[in-house]
Amino acid sequence: MSDRTLGEFEELVLLMVAAYHQAAYGVLILEKLEQQLNRKLNISAIHVALKRLEGKGFVTSSYGGITNERGGRRKKLYALTAAGKKALDINYELRTGIYRQIPNISFGQ
Amino acid sequence: MNHFPPKYALKFLRWFCREDYLEEIEGDLVEVFEKRMPRSGFWAKVYFYWLVLRCFRPGFVKSFIKVNYSNTTIMFSNYLKVSWRNLLRQPFFSSLNILGLSIGMAGALIIGLFIHFELSFNRSFADSERIFRVNIDNKIAGEVNEYAAVSGPLANVMLRDFPHAESITRFRHTNSIFIRSENATHNVKEEQVVGADSAFFSFFGIDLLYGDPHSALSEVNSLVLTKSAAEKHFSIHEAVGQIMILDNDQKYWVRGIIDDFPKNSLFRDYTVLISINSFDDYDSPAWNNWNFPTFIKLNPEATKAQLDDYLATVKERYLIPWAMQFIPGLTIESAQEQERTTGNYMRFESIALTDIHLKSPNISGEFSLNGDIKDVYILSFIGLLLIFLASVNFTNLSTARSLNRVKEVGIRKTLGSHRKSLVHQFLVESGLVSFLSMVLALLLSFLVLPYFNYLSNRSLEIPAGQWQFWAVLLVATLVLSSLSGSYPALFLSRFSPIKALKGQGVQPSNGAHIRSLLVIVQFMVSVFLIASTLVVFQQLSFIRNKDLGFKKEQVVVLNDVQVLGNNALTLKQEIEKLSNVKSVSLSSYLPTPSARSGLTYFPEGHVFEPDKAIIIGQWEVDFDYLRTLGLELVAGRDFDDKLKTDSSTVILNEAAVAMLGKTPQSAIGLRLTQDFKREDKENMEFSTVIGVVKNFHFETLRNSIDGLSLVLGKEANRMMIKLETTDYSKTLEKVEQHWASVADGQPFDYYFMDDSFATTYDTEQRLSKMFIIFTLLSVFIACLGLFGLAAFNVQRRSKEVSIRKILGASVFNISVSLSAGFLRLVLLAILLATPLAWYAMNRWLQDFSYRIDLPLWVFVLSAILAIGISLLTVSYQSLRAAIRNPVHAIRNE
Repeated sequence: MSDRTLGEFEELVLLMVAAYHQAAYGVLILEKLEQQLNRKLNISAIHVALKRLEGKGFVTSSYGGITNERGGRRKKLYALTAAGKKALDINYELRTGIYRQIPNISFGQ
Repeated sequence: MNHFPPKYALKFLRWFCREDYLEEIEGDLVEVFEKRMPRSGFWAKVYFYWLVLRCFRPGFVKSFIKVNYSNTTIMFSNYLKVSWRNLLRQPFFSSLNILGLSIGMAGALIIGLFIHFELSFNRSFADSERIFRVNIDNKIAGEVNEYAAVSGPLANVMLRDFPHAESITRFRHTNSIFIRSENATHNVKEEQVVGADSAFFSFFGIDLLYGDPHSALSEVNSLVLTKSAAEKHFSIHEAVGQIMILDNDQKYWVRGIIDDFPKNSLFRDYTVLISINSFDDYDSPAWNNWNFPTFIKLNPEATKAQLDDYLATVKERYLIPWAMQFIPGLTIESAQEQERTTGNYMRFESIALTDIHLKSPNISGEFSLNGDIKDVYILSFIGLLLIFLASVNFTNLSTARSLNRVKEVGIRKTLGSHRKSLVHQFLVESGLVSFLSMVLALLLSFLVLPYFNYLSNRSLEIPAGQWQFWAVLLVATLVLSSLSGSYPALFLSRFSPIKALKGQGVQPSNGAHIRSLLVIVQFMVSVFLIASTLVVFQQLSFIRNKDLGFKKEQVVVLNDVQVLGNNALTLKQEIEKLSNVKSVSLSSYLPTPSARSGLTYFPEGHVFEPDKAIIIGQWEVDFDYLRTLGLELVAGRDFDDKLKTDSSTVILNEAAVAMLGKTPQSAIGLRLTQDFKREDKENMEFSTVIGVVKNFHFETLRNSIDGLSLVLGKEANRMMIKLETTDYSKTLEKVEQHWASVADGQPFDYYFMDDSFATTYDTEQRLSKMFIIFTLLSVFIACLGLFGLAAFNVQRRSKEVSIRKILGASVFNISVSLSAGFLRLVLLAILLATPLAWYAMNRWLQDFSYRIDLPLWVFVLSAILAIGISLLTVSYQSLRAAIRNPVHAIRNE
């Protein structure tokens, strides 16, 4: 995968994976994001983002144990990789860097 | 209400979802579902469906192509890989192979499209296989003529008493027209116009774009335009209901618009249909007015034989009773008796609509120029030859190169390859080459097709949208690759591994016989085609330069002079006054081929004696006609405008005089009549022969010269202007000014007579150009093959050459020894091909009344060409080998 860029939604999902390192899975990310963003999301959108992130090498995944929830289906747990962390750092630096360049603008309240 | 997610949604998800994603996705969806359940079970289920649908996206769908990791697949991909590497390792031979094959394929593909187009003629009409046209076959005074149009009353008669007629439609031939919309001033000329009856649309299954099919052609003064004709005047959706003016004085209503006729139909050039009852004679009972092409659609169970049987009775039931009114004493018996004694006849015949284009000659009254089944045969033959030549190259090069592959075969066999898998390997190789060639061939034909269309006067295109085309292409490629690949495959896979590895597997002579044979055949084809092309060219230039008996040079023809009315004469006098104009003549008749009718003349004293009658053409001309065209009188005199009595005189050509059984001198003063149908016999009008002109060619040179009579007439739609200068433009400019002053906005339309004569031999010209192209292609392909073989030969014998050189052989010795073998084959091919070409071209020339004798030098020249080309091809390689420093070849062992 040569494409190492992050889309906006992908970045949000990646942040969630990082926040819930090794415990993040689809529905958890969905719920947390819905809380944070205060809007309804679709679970398949999360899945698409996760698969892409995995393809880019930013997250790894492993199956969790069998529980009685979900009709006995295992959860797929996602963990941040070093490359994922680095991508987040770069994005963070980029944004704060540009943010710092904003001069004091008066919007004349 | 259960707490489980909907069964069908889950089934669907499990069916399409990638297995490695399924558990995670299914689990997450179920969890979302479970969390929603407490709120509303129904909506949770609906939402679950929605979620499953949202997962149905490319990234999550599993691959439905079953990956088959069987042995066969793996071996196949390995064959493909090896083949590809082999192609790349020998770029020179590979490109020779692919180039030759793709040129051959492209040629054959284009020919295939052409043949398909020709065979599809007139098949697009509804029930085309049940439609027949009635023709007239007529023999009078030893001359047979066929007409594509028949008597007007026939259609009604057939409809009434032929029980197998499902429907009948009738046309009426008419001339080109000038047409404009009511409020426009400028006329448009439409060349192809025909009267049609109201059954036309349903008969041929033609839909109107605008207008009502039942009424569009049923009223007097209605017309239907094709889309492209209508667009010249108005936008087509508002065309219906418009008034148009024909030939400046007739008012017609546009009642319908149809699509342009398909290019592969006999109506292809027609643009205007006029309701048939607009013609005065549409319901005339006259059986001698052969202006009505008549088509009949038979019931599904009826046969052509039944139609022909019926048509054989029409003459005695209707035509002869009608003629009895005019010819006293005529009875059915006497008519039959006359037919028997004179050998003359007239009969109605039928021809299937689908046979018209290829199986009927260009007879009088035909709708459009027909093709010729012979051209289809010749071209199919050439197409097959091209493919054959190309695959021969492939076979030759592959077997020749087998020496390089012997070790590979040995090792493969040692490692456990069966002979079968080796055969497969080589077949895959030839398949790969064939497919690459086919792709290239498609590209080539796509590029060349516009030019071919121009040459063949057709509108072919690659039917890329039709799966049948691709299927045929695929099958053809497979067949070709297995044909050309099977011999090398069997040949190569035969080697015994021990011998192959020890280097004794193949002698250089292995397969040499077959290779020689194939080279001989290739050059036979080339020599044959070169000789044929030369003969075709000789014949055509003979025709073009033959003295036609009149002077077509420096004659300008103005079209459509009839629109000037009485001003035509004024214009003629004006133009005669111009400097550089020698003479001007008004007439409708030009000595260029077109449909002509015959008129019956009886000599005085022999009226109504059928065996004394002559049927000859009659042209209405004026006083200046002979002068303007440079026709020579062999006896008598020209028309004289000072003699009033010349209105009842006639000038004959030599052929007509011969038909009368006279010499030109004795024919002068003879009195002829064509006025034998009148009631009062004693007042019958006679014309005196005052002159005899030397025969001149007015048909194509395929035909001999027919009898012809020239009489004075007033009707004229063309003006011929004989110029005395080569500075045409200045004179033409003045002519146009004079035209404009009297023509009232009618278009000025002129051409040079010698140009129009060149188009007479258009078909032959086009055919000869196609001949050249395919000849060049085949010679090129043959040379490619020879070049490859020679290159290989040199490569194989490089050590021998080097040793010979060291031992003192000269460059000349060496190149001769390398080339001689090939040259022998080419000589043999020439010996075999020459008689074949001789025979074939003799047959072709039989078609022409005026033809060359087969010149010997043509065959000598084609032999020299073949030898020259092959020598050039081979000697390049031989010389290169002979000049090379021997060290390069023998330094390593």
